[in-house]
Amino acid sequence: MSSNRTGLTRRQTLAGVGVVGATSLPLPFIGRARAAGPIRIGLLLAKTGDIAAQTDYLAKGSYLALEERGNQIMGQPAELVWYDEPTPQGAQQNMQKLVAEEKVAAILGGSLSSNALAEEATAPSVKVPMLINNAAATEITGKNCNRYTFRLNTPVAVQARMFAPFITGYGKRWYFLTASYAFGQDINKSFHELLAQAGGTVVGNDEVPLNTPDYSSFALKIRAANPDLILGGIPAGDLSTFLKQWNEMGMKGKIPIAEIAIGDTDIWAVGPQAATGIYTSLWWYKNPANSADEQKFAADFLKKYNKPAADKAWMGWITAKSLFESIEAAKSTDPMAIIEALENWKGGTPENPYSYRKSDHQMMLKNLVVEVKPKITDQWDYFDVKGTVPNNSADLDKVFGESGCHMTAT
Amino acid sequence: MTSLLVSQLANGLVLGGLYVLIAIGLSIIFGLLGIVNFAHGAFFALGAYFGLTLYNQFGWPAVVLAPLLVGVLGMVVERLLIRHLYDKDPLISLIVTFALALLIEALTRVIWGGLGQPFGQPEWLSGIFLWGPVLITRYRFAVFATTLLLLLGLWAFMQFTPYGRILRAGSRDPEMVGLLGIRLPRVLTAVFGLGCCIAGIAGVLAAPLWTVYPAMQEGAIMPAFVVVTIGGLGSFAGAVIAGLLVGVVTTMTIQFEPAAANAVMYVFMAVVLLLRPRGLLGERWERFE
Repeated sequence: MSSNRTGLTRRQTLAGVGVVGATSLPLPFIGRARAAGPIRIGLLLAKTGDIAAQTDYLAKGSYLALEERGNQIMGQPAELVWYDEPTPQGAQQNMQKLVAEEKVAAILGGSLSSNALAEEATAPSVKVPMLINNAAATEITGKNCNRYTFRLNTPVAVQARMFAPFITGYGKRWYFLTASYAFGQDINKSFHELLAQAGGTVVGNDEVPLNTPDYSSFALKIRAANPDLILGGIPAGDLSTFLKQWNEMGMKGKIPIAEIAIGDTDIWAVGPQAATGIYTSLWWYKNPANSADEQKFAADFLKKYNKPAADKAWMGWITAKSLFESIEAAKSTDPMAIIEALENWKGGTPENPYSYRKSDHQMMLKNLVVEVKPKITDQWDYFDVKGTVPNNSADLDKVFGESGCHMTAT
Repeated sequence: MTSLLVSQLANGLVLGGLYVLIAIGLSIIFGLLGIVNFAHGAFFALGAYFGLTLYNQFGWPAVVLAPLLVGVLGMVVERLLIRHLYDKDPLISLIVTFALALLIEALTRVIWGGLGQPFGQPEWLSGIFLWGPVLITRYRFAVFATTLLLLLGLWAFMQFTPYGRILRAGSRDPEMVGLLGIRLPRVLTAVFGLGCCIAGIAGVLAAPLWTVYPAMQEGAIMPAFVVVTIGGLGSFAGAVIAGLLVGVVTTMTIQFEPAAANAVMYVFMAVVLLLRPRGLLGERWERFE
């Protein structure tokens, strides 16, 4: 009766057990087959648009990091699968495809802050570690942080705190020339506060529209104000235009120009005739303090691509390297195991160590202060390294400060 | 303050000269062919890139070939593409040339890469002139002088040569010109090539001032359209006056409200069009009315 009530006879139960047993037989085989296949890592970087020229360097650095390991992780073949980041929504869709169709163990990318914020929001739902190698929006490791997301670049406000004490050495009467959108406004606000704390004076404050083709009138205003320093906050192409016209007006070298978050390629585009200024940078290929690994990377890059590694190439390389070494350390492609290994990963040299901060997954590293050489004789060798900020590694926590991140355990 | 305003005024006139140079090719193509050439900025960018390549390979003297190459390319484009648009709705020419602009930008990205390319001014044109409060760079002065010479040459060509008369007549009544035994298609090819060549000259001259990168055309095409619209579509003199006005309005805005510097030319255009819908010196065009 009881069998009837449950709807199963003894024979049916035995048959069911047999079927389940039979269907489970191939599972270990499938499991082994997946383990024996290549470990796939997603690369989510823009392939089109103005940023594509920079993502090309990020991608080359990432590929080189894998090649250095013989294209293997944990003794297994490994490969990068590169998908585009056309828009924030497109980036999210491609991220889901990378996970669902390409079965990637982790993802490297986030070339623009808008894309990176969208990808960061997707990472917990697809349960895959996401390492952002370029975007600098403060919120990524601030209020939007989550357990799955790690970020290399130093946020704008932190770069400002690092850089301000250095450039006040040039004088405290500053002229602000910043772009009239989020990036420039962030810089403007941060440095205004820092200059006020240092007892300085703002002698001019121009917000510049994006893609301004002519800076001569701005240059005339700056010339008339005669500040100790121009604090720039204009993006790559605009900075190049400004520096060319600044030089054209005979002003190069007369008033120092300082700016954060500028890439090597931005200055290479200016040309030796007009290039000038003091900048922050995460890495410079000719920095004598580079670690042995970094020197080897720079040499390998030069050999392979016949041009030096730009800072973006290093950013792609070090983010990928931290991921690959963390998977090795975890001895697993399990997402939480990788995350825990990343939280314990350490790179750099004893003088310049760097690692992801456990509380917000922000890479804690010193920035370089570089200055354009007075005379440039090499097509690529534009900078002298003037110092690292902060000077002491023990000050990193203080200068990065509280990020506003409240991370949950999963 | 007064001296700074005088300085900005002079700078505005020189900047306006550059705008005139960018816009004049667009004005010629519209005035004589009736084509709204949205690819004008792309030909401008090609001028810069050809100049850069010729400079890197052969030095400054070879750079003069860059606008000629752009002109030849323009003639090829006219034969293959633009010719089919003459009797079509002007909107179609706008869409086709917009697609052409995107294609040229994509090709420059493939050939020269997406990063900015360094390109400075010649050493013999570096330096500044200082007259009291007025500061003008030697290079901008040369650009302004080139623009004036070019405008004078074009005006003389159109007014005093038989070719100029054929062009002007053909732009108004192509059928009649054909009946007189003149092979107008060849003339039209030459006109389009000339417009592109002038865009190339502007590109070469702007390259040491602007960042040479694939999207540089965007910085040229919109001011060119604004200048041509304010001046009156197809009006040679109108483009010159409008270019200078836009230059002065822009520099004065930078002095007092810098964040509005790029937008002010559009506001200025809107005001002019409200007061005079055909632009400052615009004429009635039978073809479009």
